[in-house]
Amino acid sequence: MKATEIDWDRFAEIIEKHAQKKWGLIPLLQEVQERFGYIPPETIGAVAEALDLYPSHVQGVITFYAGFSTEPRGKCVLKVCRGTACHVKGGKSILRVIKRDLDLEEGETSPDYQFTLETAACLGACFLAPAMMVDREYYGKLNPTKVTSVIGEYRKPEGDE
Amino acid sequence: MESISLTINGTRLSCPQGQSILQAAEAHDIKIPTLCYHHSLKPFGACRLCLVEDEKSGRIFASCVTPAASEMVIHTHSPQVIAHRRTIVSLMMAEHPESCIVCNKGNRCHLRMIAAELGIGDNALYPMPNFAALEQANPYITRDLSKCILCGKCIRADHELVCAGAIDYNSRGFNSRPVTLYELPLEKSSCTFCGTCVSICPTGALSAKMQFVGTPEKESTSICGFCGVGCSLELGVAGDKIVDVNPSHLKNSVNDATLCVRGHFAHDFLNSKKRLTQPLIRTEEDLTPTTWDEALETAAQRMLEIKERYGPDSIAFLGSSKCTNEENYLFQKIARTIFQTNHVDNGGYMSGRLFLDLVDKRTDGAGRFNFFAGPFSGLEQAEVVFVVGAEPSQAVPVFDYYLKRSARKGIPLILANHRKIDLAGPGSIWIHPQGTPPAAGRTADTFYLELINLISALLLDKEAFDTSFVSRFTSGFERYQEELLSLSREDCLDKADLDAQTIALAVDLLAGKKITFVVGDGLMLHRYGKETMDALLNLALMTGSIGYKGAGFHIVSKENNLVGAWDMGAVPDALPGRLKVARSEDRARWEKAWGVKIPESRGMDLLEMIKSAENGRLKALYIMGENPLRSLPQPDLLLNALKSLKCLIVQDILFSETAGIADVVLPAAAFSEKAGSFTNMEGKIQCFSPAVPPPGLGKPDLEILTLFAEKLAAPGNTGSHQQIRKEISSVITSYSNGAACKHPIWIREKAQPEDSQAEEHIRFSPVATSAETEADGRYPFTAFFRSLRFHLGSGTRTEQSSRITAGEEQGEIEVAPADAEKMSLADNDRIRVTSAAGKIERNIRINPKVEDGHIYIPTAFEANGARLLLRLEPFFENDSGGWSSCAVAIDKAETMTMDR
Repeated sequence: MKATEIDWDRFAEIIEKHAQKKWGLIPLLQEVQERFGYIPPETIGAVAEALDLYPSHVQGVITFYAGFSTEPRGKCVLKVCRGTACHVKGGKSILRVIKRDLDLEEGETSPDYQFTLETAACLGACFLAPAMMVDREYYGKLNPTKVTSVIGEYRKPEGDE
Repeated sequence: MESISLTINGTRLSCPQGQSILQAAEAHDIKIPTLCYHHSLKPFGACRLCLVEDEKSGRIFASCVTPAASEMVIHTHSPQVIAHRRTIVSLMMAEHPESCIVCNKGNRCHLRMIAAELGIGDNALYPMPNFAALEQANPYITRDLSKCILCGKCIRADHELVCAGAIDYNSRGFNSRPVTLYELPLEKSSCTFCGTCVSICPTGALSAKMQFVGTPEKESTSICGFCGVGCSLELGVAGDKIVDVNPSHLKNSVNDATLCVRGHFAHDFLNSKKRLTQPLIRTEEDLTPTTWDEALETAAQRMLEIKERYGPDSIAFLGSSKCTNEENYLFQKIARTIFQTNHVDNGGYMSGRLFLDLVDKRTDGAGRFNFFAGPFSGLEQAEVVFVVGAEPSQAVPVFDYYLKRSARKGIPLILANHRKIDLAGPGSIWIHPQGTPPAAGRTADTFYLELINLISALLLDKEAFDTSFVSRFTSGFERYQEELLSLSREDCLDKADLDAQTIALAVDLLAGKKITFVVGDGLMLHRYGKETMDALLNLALMTGSIGYKGAGFHIVSKENNLVGAWDMGAVPDALPGRLKVARSEDRARWEKAWGVKIPESRGMDLLEMIKSAENGRLKALYIMGENPLRSLPQPDLLLNALKSLKCLIVQDILFSETAGIADVVLPAAAFSEKAGSFTNMEGKIQCFSPAVPPPGLGKPDLEILTLFAEKLAAPGNTGSHQQIRKEISSVITSYSNGAACKHPIWIREKAQPEDSQAEEHIRFSPVATSAETEADGRYPFTAFFRSLRFHLGSGTRTEQSSRITAGEEQGEIEVAPADAEKMSLADNDRIRVTSAAGKIERNIRINPKVEDGHIYIPTAFEANGARLLLRLEPFFENDSGGWSSCAVAIDKAETMTMDR
């Protein structure tokens, strides 16, 4: 299975909404990221044209923010906390378990585009340490069993293709 | 502006409000070290080296981004500031690779200079060099981003000055680097290889690719000898060779911190093996080396003999739009006074002298009206810019930066061009033929003329003309108005194949505004070039776009001294100072100055000279700095004509095609090897001094001409360039300050519009329309000749640059995707292009910017082969096809593997 083809019609809608607006770049990119799950590199030219910016500038903004990705990401993005509190509470082992469970390294996306594994410097939920996020949901006070069950919830149902 | 006072390092000083502390300090010669600051760029505050201490608050801040405030007490070198600076530089050095000994930036590296000043040698910090791959695949720029200190100068110069947008920062923190889109190599990006970033880079991260490593022994300021912009250069000299070129440090130069690929990287042609180093003389079939004395003696004797035997009409002189004002002046003076002939012309014949002639005609040669828009900086005040048939980014790149900068500031832009040039942006209107059959095949000829007529007519309909200007300064408007009223708008739309809606938008934008015209020189090499220029002049008069701030004409001039050569009288119909040969009072001025009679009738122009040589009437030709065998169409015909001459003298810097058939060859000096002055396309006269001696026995052209005149036993034609300048300025008012030129570089705006306008009237000329043409079924395609920024003119000089010839561009013909598909052509396939005059074979490149039915053939490549498709006829005669485009047929040729 490969990443979805770019839906250029949908893309054009987003462009139209933000074209020629001052300070429109980041809201535009956020919407693209949201709708497509990533910012397809081949759209950089069109984004730049719509806002009268240099394509290299648009790329610079995309690569600056961790929130933007130019590679297709999984349906579910896991962010494992590397903060001090989580570290003390065994966050490192949690990460190891997740890596084993998903068979992914940091920054990687599973071949079926279900999961992307990332780490964050601190999720700001130290009272829940060790913590992680899946998309916008927080999961705290993790242990290996809990991790496996959380991941299980997000796994694709068998046979669903 | 209000001024404020403050104290820096104990000195009380004042500066205008709004200046930064750094600017205030610099203005008073207080040095503050910087790495990311450049006077032409917006302050950025990245490097933190310009830290200063405020005594009152004890705070430390970056002086480049802090505005000076009243009663501040600033210390630039307090112990605390120094301690901070040392830490910052130590950190930079810890990240920097230890390669100073073999670094190209050598002693010019700012980082190294500042580290040395602060005494940071052995670094106590743990070295953490941030290695990046070395990029040097292209022949111009070597990128070693390991040495990058992230000052952002290259990025800001690229965005703010050159407007190419090729690079920007990527990522964050330690990984941050200036990169191209998709991190491709430079040659695959929108980089134009202007090299501005190379010169502005404070470290060795960006450097010019070259054999030479180290610091040039000295730097010498000069003026670029390529296009009409006239950029100031800083020539790096090692031994007696130019090894490096950068934009000069002068703050009031045309180009400021920018240059173009030719100016920056093509000057290695100066050290070409093809440079002429000794005089040559023809014995039997060969050219053999000889002494200066013998060469000049022979040249003088032969010319005098021919004059004796066949009369002055048998001798012609071809001066050069590349040589200096002084040289062209002396050259035509020798022709007119000693040989008594007005048969003088220069290579500018091919690059738009027409405009000057037309202006002249309308004002009866009074010439006091300034149609020129003046300094490029006036573009900032333009109301609307109308670019007609020009591609400034290729022909005159540094002028293009001005246009792009003004467009980014929101000055509206209207482009009329067959091709969508890269000036086209969101705020611009692009007018072009729609490609509707059957008109598609014939718009190349009719497009511009009909478009300008239509715009004028529609403006008239809106009553959008400047009544006060028209009544005060012009005559013949009533007739012009009538003609425009009776002009069929539908005919114009149809003949030029225009989209009515786009035109309406453009007319709305133009209405009530003073227009700044940018006119391509190709427009004048056109079948209706003369009529189009006339139409443009009418439009300018009607809208009052003359003598107004920023408005008027910018004529793209590909040659560095096109205006100067004309001003100096290296033309058949005018004496120096644009005085008419045919008018007795004009002639009398120079007859008095020279003390001889000048022949009364206009002389032959370049094409008439060739015709006359063909007929056997012309016997001798003296060519200074031109290579017609490479620049003109039908070289075989030209070769025969030149060979039938009894005497051909060629004075040049390179052993050119034309030098190869000469009887006497005189080795001259390039701009970097002589003194003189050029007049650029704004009308700025710029003086320069030699940086190195000419190679071998070569001599500056002025010296050669002086020696030649001595051999002719004609004293009074000699002198240094200062003396000549004095002579010029005594008669030509617009050059009157020339003699006072004391500095090696002297920049002065040439005659600004004078108040005398009130006394004169400029005539409107009748409205001309194009004739119906039948498309020739045998030649269904239209070939446009396009000069790329890598080469200049016919490429005689730029072809000798090893960097330029190693570049990506190899003269590929651009074809539209649809046409390529129809003929099943792919990139690098070879095609044969046939016109009524000849045929050429080239590889192709498919480009979506090309409209269907059009092809673009780059000039200058492959010995300027594109000209083989043209005919050697005067291009402003109606039965000729012009020199900027022609009808062609194309078919697939056997693919040949090219050795690159």
